[in-house]
Amino acid sequence: MTESRLADLTARVPGLRLLTELTDLIHYGRDWTRRWGPAPLAVALPSDAAEVQAIVRWANERQVALVPSGGRTGLSGGAVAARGELVLSLQRMNRVLGFDATDRLLEVEAGITLHAVHEAAREHGLLYPVDFGARGSCTIGGNVATNAGGIRVVRHGTTREWIAGLTVVAGNGELLELNRGLVKNSSGYDLRQLMIGSEGTLGVVVGAQLKLTDPSPPAQTMLLALPHMDALMEVFGLFRSRLKLQAFEFFTDVALKHVLAHGAQRAIDASEPYYVVAEYDALEDRDEQAALLAFEEGVREGWISDGVIAQNEAQAAALWRLREGITESLAPRKPYKNDIALRISAMPAFLHEMQALLARAYPQMEVVWFGHIGDGNLHINVLPPEDMAQAEFLAHCERVTRLLADALQRHGGSISAEHGIGLVKRAYLDSTRSAAEIALMRGVRTVFDPHGILNPGKLFE
Amino acid sequence: MKILVGYKRVVDYNVRIQVKPDGTGVVTEGVKLSANPFDDIALEEALRLREKGVAEEVVIVGIGPADLTAHLRNGLAMGANRAIHVTTAEAVQPLTAARVFLKLVEKEQPGLVILGKQAIDDDANQTGQMLAALWDRPQATFASKVEIADGKATVTREVDAGLETIEADLPAVITTDLRLNEPRFIKLPDIMKAKSKPIDVIELGSLGVEGGDHLKTTHYAAPPKRSKGVMVKDAAELVATLKQKGLL
Repeated sequence: MTESRLADLTARVPGLRLLTELTDLIHYGRDWTRRWGPAPLAVALPSDAAEVQAIVRWANERQVALVPSGGRTGLSGGAVAARGELVLSLQRMNRVLGFDATDRLLEVEAGITLHAVHEAAREHGLLYPVDFGARGSCTIGGNVATNAGGIRVVRHGTTREWIAGLTVVAGNGELLELNRGLVKNSSGYDLRQLMIGSEGTLGVVVGAQLKLTDPSPPAQTMLLALPHMDALMEVFGLFRSRLKLQAFEFFTDVALKHVLAHGAQRAIDASEPYYVVAEYDALEDRDEQAALLAFEEGVREGWISDGVIAQNEAQAAALWRLREGITESLAPRKPYKNDIALRISAMPAFLHEMQALLARAYPQMEVVWFGHIGDGNLHINVLPPEDMAQAEFLAHCERVTRLLADALQRHGGSISAEHGIGLVKRAYLDSTRSAAEIALMRGVRTVFDPHGILNPGKLFE
Repeated sequence: MKILVGYKRVVDYNVRIQVKPDGTGVVTEGVKLSANPFDDIALEEALRLREKGVAEEVVIVGIGPADLTAHLRNGLAMGANRAIHVTTAEAVQPLTAARVFLKLVEKEQPGLVILGKQAIDDDANQTGQMLAALWDRPQATFASKVEIADGKATVTREVDAGLETIEADLPAVITTDLRLNEPRFIKLPDIMKAKSKPIDVIELGSLGVEGGDHLKTTHYAAPPKRSKGVMVKDAAELVATLKQKGLL
């Protein structure tokens, strides 16, 4: 059965690169989550849109599930292939196709890494502003599929803001050119926007037209130590009102402990429960003056106890490593991840409720908080105790996540801010979306992918 | 003991340098400027010596235009006791810089002068050596370890063959290499405190230094771009291609 389906595929798509070795199946069958044993049917590495289209048509006819695959740095299981799916990796489609200086658009294939996009933009003296720690491995296709956010959202917004056009092979095999780079286009449903954040359930993104912008002005980077949780939002408010923030990120002392154990440089003497990395435009002396005044005020108010400032780019990178290195430093412990979003105004009340809830729910477990406080986005990672079986740990986390989801619902938040629902948060989608919304989402999916071959089981069952 | 430290401002070493279209220099407007990394290391070493009780005072020296003040304030925030700002609108070359330092050495009578082994803008690697010669005192260049005791500096130097340890009688000139230390971060409260630290401003012309800028730069150009690699099918084609290019 398996053999005949693959034989049929290779017959239809001559020259298609197909991997079936066990090591490849494992490598391509999983993302940064490690909960599901990878078990794909095979891995296809198409070289152009036509091959993708042929694969999607074949999958429709032979009823084979496809898992579109980019850099597999996802944290929600969206790119996991554990049920005999064909992994459709865009990895070979990683070229820059063109740049238009008038439109300020960079046209790329979906398998290009975020880092390569940054480099390509820089060659033209411009900036692609979406950025986060996985930049070296994650791809634009995956960024689109999850509407990836990251560390510059407070200034530049999420991936959605930067997509001027998408080339997509829909689940029904049609090749779609969505929005074609237009700035204005008031001609009905914007299907491009529907693709962004669809987690590979509507179509396979094969190409994108990315908007580029002016490079950021020179920035200063600070690390601040904060004595209590309420200070987080106070300092954010203070800094946002005084400075042009490029980033405002926080983490806790527990996160710091792990990232230091992973080899980062301590940088600050003070030991406090909360830390903030803030980056802001520093064009002239008065920008630095404003930052110092804001710092002084924070100290006077009792919101900040200490702070350091990077003197050069190397020190700025060292400060950033304290924040960006967290995910990697925790990875060996296989943490249970929450990635939640709230309105910024709802944050203070929610933080208190969360702190109490998590202290009750995880008395014997290490809980690591960090994230994009300025976007209302918290990452809460729970580390399993050394002596607890994984199944028991996960079952416990799932129970707590239900409580978390209930709290989010009360505060009007979202169970996924930027990682996507994937497999990990599927059971909690109903805390963020109404039954009517979910019914419409399912309906949309059926229109794009009538046979349900694209990433089945992700987002919803 | 007093330590004099050279503290130059350069384009940050993480910034991609761009040559001005007319070839008259490199673009510095809107570009991040930072302390020369080797000078940061020099200042860090001086501060550590002061913290160990070997020195009592650390004085940083900058030669440059009026807006160098903010840069010197950073050095003061990092921990220097005071700064000397030698003002000039022109960039100075190593011999002029060394003569300026000689004048300041005569005035300040330091027990030690610590300079970066080179500045990453012109990469001259000359000022320290020239100063030692003009001053007629020992020099210990490319230092990766410094110990001060009994009026002597014991310095481990990074040399082509590995490491070399020498002793130098103080006063002396030490130039720093990359591995000497890792410079500290500036604490924000110290930036406030640095505001009240003194900066002596001296006009270069008033020092009576003979000009040493004998080099004239005629043109700046970016390095030639590397041409793209070529894929070859097999060893035979590789050999043929290399032969064709005259490389075999």
